Amino acid sequence: MTQRYLILADGSAYPGKAFGSLATTTGELVANSTMNGYQEIISNQIYHNQIIVFTQSSIGNTGLDQNAYESVLPSAKGVIVREYENLATDHFKRISLDRYLKQHRIPGIYDVDTREIRHRLQKYGNMMASIVDVADDHAFDQLHATVLTNQQVAQVATPKPYPNPDEGDNVVVVDFGLKSGILRELSRRNCNVTVVPWNSTSEMILDLDPDGIVLSTGPGAPSNLPESVLKMITEIQSQAPLFAIGLGHELFALANQAKVSKLRVEHHGANHPIREIITNEIFFSGQEQGYAVDPKSIDHAKLFITHVDLVNGTVQGLRHRDFPAFSVQFSPDGAPGPKDSVDLFDDFMEIMERRRDENGSRY
Amino acid sequence: MAVDINKVLLLGGGPTSIGHENELDAAAYERLIALKKTGAQIIYVDDNPFSVTSEEVQPANVYVQQVNFKNVVNIIEKEHPDAIMATTGGLNAMQIAWQLSESGVLTSNNINLLGIKPADLRKVIDNEKLRDLLTEINERVIASRIVADDTEAMDFVREVGFPVIVKPISASHDTSRFICNNTDELEDALDVSFKRAYIKRCSIEQSIVGYKEIEMVGIRDANGNKLLISGLEDMDPIGIHSGDSIIFAPTQTLINEEYQALRTATFRIMDSLNVTGTCHVQFAQSRTDSNYFVTKVSPFFTRNTLLAAKATGYPLTYVASFLELGYGFTEIKLPAKYSKYTPFMEPTMDHVLVRIPLWPFRDINDVDQHLNTLMKSVGSTIGVGRTVEEAIIKSMHSSQFSPRDILPSVSKVDDDDVINQLIHPLASRILILMEALRRGFSIDELSELTRIDRFYFYKLNQLLRAQDFVINHPLSPQSVQVGHKYGFGDGMLAELWNVNIAQITRMNQNVNHQVTYKEIEPSAGEFLEATNIFYSSYELENESKPFAEKTALVIGRGGNQLGPNSAADYYTAQILISLKKVGYKTLIMNTNPNVVSLTPQLSDKQYIEPIQLGNILNIINLDRPDVIFLPGNRHYLSKQLKQFADLNIIVLPPDQKVAHYKRHSATTAVDLFIQGKEIIPVTSLSFFNHHNRNDLHHLNDYQEPMIDWQKDESLIMQQAIKTTNPSEWQGLVQVLFNKTNSGDYICTGIRPVRITETAFLTKTTGINWINVLVKKYLGILDMASLREQLKPIAHKRYSIMTAHFPFKQLQSNRKEGTTRQEVGAALSFENFIN
Repeated sequence: MTQRYLILADGSAYPGKAFGSLATTTGELVANSTMNGYQEIISNQIYHNQIIVFTQSSIGNTGLDQNAYESVLPSAKGVIVREYENLATDHFKRISLDRYLKQHRIPGIYDVDTREIRHRLQKYGNMMASIVDVADDHAFDQLHATVLTNQQVAQVATPKPYPNPDEGDNVVVVDFGLKSGILRELSRRNCNVTVVPWNSTSEMILDLDPDGIVLSTGPGAPSNLPESVLKMITEIQSQAPLFAIGLGHELFALANQAKVSKLRVEHHGANHPIREIITNEIFFSGQEQGYAVDPKSIDHAKLFITHVDLVNGTVQGLRHRDFPAFSVQFSPDGAPGPKDSVDLFDDFMEIMERRRDENGSRY
Repeated sequence: MAVDINKVLLLGGGPTSIGHENELDAAAYERLIALKKTGAQIIYVDDNPFSVTSEEVQPANVYVQQVNFKNVVNIIEKEHPDAIMATTGGLNAMQIAWQLSESGVLTSNNINLLGIKPADLRKVIDNEKLRDLLTEINERVIASRIVADDTEAMDFVREVGFPVIVKPISASHDTSRFICNNTDELEDALDVSFKRAYIKRCSIEQSIVGYKEIEMVGIRDANGNKLLISGLEDMDPIGIHSGDSIIFAPTQTLINEEYQALRTATFRIMDSLNVTGTCHVQFAQSRTDSNYFVTKVSPFFTRNTLLAAKATGYPLTYVASFLELGYGFTEIKLPAKYSKYTPFMEPTMDHVLVRIPLWPFRDINDVDQHLNTLMKSVGSTIGVGRTVEEAIIKSMHSSQFSPRDILPSVSKVDDDDVINQLIHPLASRILILMEALRRGFSIDELSELTRIDRFYFYKLNQLLRAQDFVINHPLSPQSVQVGHKYGFGDGMLAELWNVNIAQITRMNQNVNHQVTYKEIEPSAGEFLEATNIFYSSYELENESKPFAEKTALVIGRGGNQLGPNSAADYYTAQILISLKKVGYKTLIMNTNPNVVSLTPQLSDKQYIEPIQLGNILNIINLDRPDVIFLPGNRHYLSKQLKQFADLNIIVLPPDQKVAHYKRHSATTAVDLFIQGKEIIPVTSLSFFNHHNRNDLHHLNDYQEPMIDWQKDESLIMQQAIKTTNPSEWQGLVQVLFNKTNSGDYICTGIRPVRITETAFLTKTTGINWINVLVKKYLGILDMASLREQLKPIAHKRYSIMTAHFPFKQLQSNRKEGTTRQEVGAALSFENFIN
């Protein structure tokens, strides 16, 4: 067992034992407190350029499941955990966590006080960190000198469109770093999906005759994306039902002149109650959030808030006043996390259906 | 919005038994504290003499009566409560609530049943109704049918497939079950069963033996909002009662998809029953696909509801009490030590909790010790750690195994026996599982034989390897590190290497390897809460800070076995209450999840740590308590602790070994209180035994005052005072007598008043004797007021203590038990006949 280090921008160094790849990496350190679904978390593209600290003390217990990947090529920069199990057991064919991380060149460190790190992040806010062999001045210099790319979406999203055919509604998914959970839910509803690149124009999208459009989740700051993306959104939102999730939600807000700001502490977990304002109902969902829509910046003539996080008060859902367009900050697909709000996909289906009825049957 | 309640009747859990320790009393106690905030008047009914709750209720509002329909109706007619809370009284209380509703008592008295509406309660009490409900909401239940002949049975099997379980329907308590894998076995089973049945009927059901058993605990408010407290995973498969299984929190071997399916099902069930408060749902999860069955629904407090709360640090009882009163999650205000978001945040854990059951077979050994669907364990211990191994070893070491072995071996058993026990598990099966690993059985083989997930064998194997490493590298820093990581305490390492514990402590200091304490709180470090519940781990950050004020450490008893354990917990809780009253900051150390003494409101800091020397010394080293209380008779531990001269240790009651007997029998006793040279008589007792035995081991039942007290009491008290030498005896002392045929009383012995009797005396004399003893040993006892309270002795009624034994539940034919076999007791009162 090789000893390696997690070093933080504030100068602290955590010795631990290595697993997975032995690569040296740098990224933003974020804590995730979801108790299940380490596989879904690690393979989510939202963690591009991030090192994930699991607060759950032990991960790896069930190996990796062919049906639970959120992307084919994960892009997380590291995994920090108190204890990991190198198991490949149970009723599906699975590989072990260690092997998976090695395959994808993701380094891991275990045997560190993740609870202490969690406390540190809560106290001092988001922080850059590296996984290194030696915690010397050189390593810290490298860490301080590293500038992470702001082309994250371009690095993880598909460069070419591809279809996921079925016999139901035509849905175009704009990929900003799509998590498979969204496709899975659309598949369950027999949608005939076309996934298109993040930089597709509105013309390209609308030429596919969508019954509905999904703006996907993805990594990084929404402000990193060019103005053309916002333009595309304003052009499509009036033409077809729109459902935006995660980064998609943030872009939807920006396209409608709201502001988005970075959270002092990123929130990754499934423990915050989310209130649906109209029904006053509380539910839970996976949240992986580094940015939030500023509620004061919302133009109420255009958008209204549908969901709010009861703990940090962040906007969790928006709806357009004039168009059948709505968005959520959280992950209603429940991969991982509760499935309390999975019926938002049914709402989307219903909106598409209503829209079709209004416009006269296409068939 | 909240229901307006002025007077609420709270149903107690009754005497402890198999399946029910003090957890219901602990829940009732927390509930009481919550209810007091609403200003409602509380009426409490319970006949458990070791109930701490009944002492917190105004004496006039406590009914020491058996919790049954008749008594509850009488209380309702007298008190006219406007609401009933039954959910902390176990299944018995829920059944009474249902009877109250069926008989019209609730409607005619205009009483609100809190937690679940009568119409919905019916669906839970009546199995058929529950089955219909679950089917209606598309949840799968195990198919079963009553059949009258082979053809009907075969029709059923055609529908559900093999394996099936056949049970005869008989008038006697026949618990035979036949698992049938094919037609031949089925025909044989039916043949036998029809013969045994008193009418020619059999029950036949789909077998899910071998499935994983998963439990979910959720809560719901009147607005329909829900959150999941925790999932629990039984290590042992379906076929072994959950109460006899090793349990893990959080679940260990479910993937997200499976976990979320069970969470969603739990919520759907809670919605369909309109539960406000807690609901515990048990599932059988297939190992080969994602199918599951719902096996049990309990919309009330159960042992495992409370275990889930303990595992997460979520203030479940407190919150659920307000939910039952109709509050919404966001309307509940918690004590300041919690984050204000806690009531409506779904708990998330950053540690592992393991619960290991304890069985009573040391004290009752002539019964079948196989584990099956009937619960046999009488207690349990928990271990909490940051790794699964750490939690396992801590829970094991909190239980009955010898402190000398890290992982006890069972070398006497031959290989055939090992295989036999793997297939037909006996109590303490974890030892056999480890022994099998030691003997080279492969993990695949073991998983196949036991239907236990491979993950657990992998973990046990890690433990064995860690142990080997530690044994083979004595006194090396690496060994200490490996040992600590896997939960081997310093005391264990010292025993293992046969060195003084101080040597290990020095080694830790040299390599700067210090114990840290982590808080159990429901946000996994997101909020800085101060639940003040801690477990140890060797890491960077220590979260337990010593108090600046004077501090007392109380060392709890650990897991319940038979004997005076529930009384000991009562005793421990009372010590904590007393210490707090006299201004101490209190620390409690315990590993029993079902005790009142771990109730958060009773102490300032709780340590879930093995009750072992190394762990105790670590806490002492950090918190520097001014005084340490050791309740209960624990010779080994008190001897170990007394080696440390600088510790101020008070053993209560004083060690029973100081008892002095001339004869091992008694019929009558006088209890005295001795302070300095002063001896004050407290009361007299008569022992009775239904089999007319008066040897000390059978003095389970007693009454206060003694029979013929009008005639003989003052005489025998004088005799007792004369017999007792204050220079030898202090505190609560019992002088034993036999009555001769000529009517004289002959002294047979003298001993400290036992724990059970101290609890009894507290209930019958109205003086909290544990409080008195605590003050006495702290040197702050006010004798004048005690004298005042004790004089003159005016008996008003007989108080009667009746011991309960677990013989029926263990399917033993014994009728008579010894004091060591008690599982609980009931208290009752009887008026004098004039």
